[in-house]
Amino acid sequence: MSESPRPDSSPASAVWLDRLVDAIDAAAMWLVLPLSLLLFLQWPLRDLVHAYSREANDAAQILFALYVSVAITAATRARTHLAADVLAHRLPAAWRAHLERAGAMLVLLPWSVYVIWTGTPMAWRALVALEAFGETLNPGYYLIKLALILLATLVALQALLVGLRPAAARLN
Amino acid sequence: MATAGLWMLLVAAVLMVATGLPAWILLNAVAMVAAAIGVAAGVVPAALFTALPSRLLSLLESDLLQALPLYVFMGALLNRLPLAQALFGVARRALARTGAGAPLAGLALGGLLAPMNGSVGAGVSMFSHLLHPRLVQAGVPTAHSAALVAVASTLGVVIPPSLVLILLGDAMMRAHTEALNATHAAVRIINEQDMFRGALLPALVVALLCAWVAWRMNRSRGAAEVPAAPRASEWITAAATLLLISGLLGAVTLGYLYAVEAAAAGGVALLLYALGARLLTPARLRAILRDTLAVTGALFALLVGATVFTLVLRAFETDRWVADAIGALGGGPFTVLATVLGTIALCAFVLDAFEMIFVVIPVVMPPLLLRVPDATWVAVLTMLILQSSFLLPPFGYAVMMVRNRLAHAGHALELHAYARACMPFLLAQLAVLALVLVFPRLSGPGPEPIASAPANQPTPSDADLSELLRRQLEAPAPAAGGQK
Repeated sequence: MSESPRPDSSPASAVWLDRLVDAIDAAAMWLVLPLSLLLFLQWPLRDLVHAYSREANDAAQILFALYVSVAITAATRARTHLAADVLAHRLPAAWRAHLERAGAMLVLLPWSVYVIWTGTPMAWRALVALEAFGETLNPGYYLIKLALILLATLVALQALLVGLRPAAARLN
Repeated sequence: MATAGLWMLLVAAVLMVATGLPAWILLNAVAMVAAAIGVAAGVVPAALFTALPSRLLSLLESDLLQALPLYVFMGALLNRLPLAQALFGVARRALARTGAGAPLAGLALGGLLAPMNGSVGAGVSMFSHLLHPRLVQAGVPTAHSAALVAVASTLGVVIPPSLVLILLGDAMMRAHTEALNATHAAVRIINEQDMFRGALLPALVVALLCAWVAWRMNRSRGAAEVPAAPRASEWITAAATLLLISGLLGAVTLGYLYAVEAAAAGGVALLLYALGARLLTPARLRAILRDTLAVTGALFALLVGATVFTLVLRAFETDRWVADAIGALGGGPFTVLATVLGTIALCAFVLDAFEMIFVVIPVVMPPLLLRVPDATWVAVLTMLILQSSFLLPPFGYAVMMVRNRLAHAGHALELHAYARACMPFLLAQLAVLALVLVFPRLSGPGPEPIASAPANQPTPSDADLSELLRRQLEAPAPAAGGQK
């Protein structure tokens, strides 16, 4: 899997931003381990212990939301997004770099800003009320709503990074 | 403007092929432009799009989608640990007497791993890297090897309980619910297990026929094939892995375990095995976790793109237009079924299975199920037509993806030879499709009544059914101060 080129000749803010997103990716990738463990434990907890399986499920739900929120940007950086490269592989590299930048700045940036704009009131209300899960009343449901804002924020930051990346790096 | 959604789909497909940009970006791009035009023209209320965060939130809190990272995690463990290689080596040795050990081992590995990949694209990526070099090394011609990689990558579409089938099952359940709400028919709504059981026999026949084709095409080369004997530890590793994976997949298919729990159990078991066998170096663990995060993100991004796209498509009421068009089709249920399956086949030339499930299926299935009420049969036919379309040379999605992938890796592929190598597999799949079409019971017992319907109730006409579905598809009442 090819990593996205680093903005070596970018402004210091871009380098700092790049490292921040990298650090978030590196931390989030471990979440799949407790996620697997919790969802695996659901089975014996439900059928053998007859308790705590709903708690395990709710905790896994929070981990899942946080994990996939970071995963989209991680996929962008690792270039694993699914694309039909049927004809486009014949395009010159410079064109493809321009297309990538246009996709980031004209699509992903406004999209993520819109999601943040329309989703923040919902997430804020949930945070202030420390909203719990509806069915089980277990705490932490507000984290799932915050995860949506995290998803959009990371997409926006990554779009900015692609947009700010110097032309030479984009051609790599 | 009701046809706007169809134009959106066409533009998205053209842009995907022409630009090579990720599908999720293009789905968002087309949806945003169409939404802006719709709002500017006064056709679509702007406030409708404030529902977007809630729709995205429903993805984040979906129990079913939790299976996604777990399946990917299992796939990454199998791929990065020397398990897939051990499985391939042992299967090749065990099947050496057939004269086509390597191709058959490749298909077997595809049957085992493809259900966990989640997409044809991810399958092509994995098997081009994992299988192609080994098949070529075993003396299989490049064109045949590429065809085997394409076939192996599409097996995940039909073999239960693949991610594709889990998500198709969920989409079919929603479509069936919509159709039953419209007709008030007293039949049970299909669920995941119906899908798994319905797909089981056709998938088995597909797998066996593909294995027979691979054997027929390669048996003459068997004499030159002398695979090295695997070590005893490799036999044990391969047998334990095979037992674990097939046991978990079987338990899900037969309804003993939920897909999410089985995938979690598989991941934990493989992780414990890797720790116990001292195979899990810190660097390898980090690589597995990075792969899992990146592939999960790629699949989840498609769901996000498809969610935005379908919100706009429904805002233009294209779903109702499609329902009316399908309702107005003459010629009886078979003609309607053939038309919809043909449309799905055409879409599958440019869309991967996930995009099909989240963009196309929700639009075409409810009206189809009004005319053809056996939802499990329709679902099994859908997955078979999807798999066949992916393999149709020269434009089939898997066929082209493999060709591009190998070209990138410096393996030139002569199109004519490649297409000729794919054709027998395609014919085998079409034969299964025809069988299921003619004998619907191959996919299960059909709709199960949940209560006896009144005997003198008149049979609704097609026009009645369309009207009923139209009422079902009416938008919910706007929230206070929401829409105009």
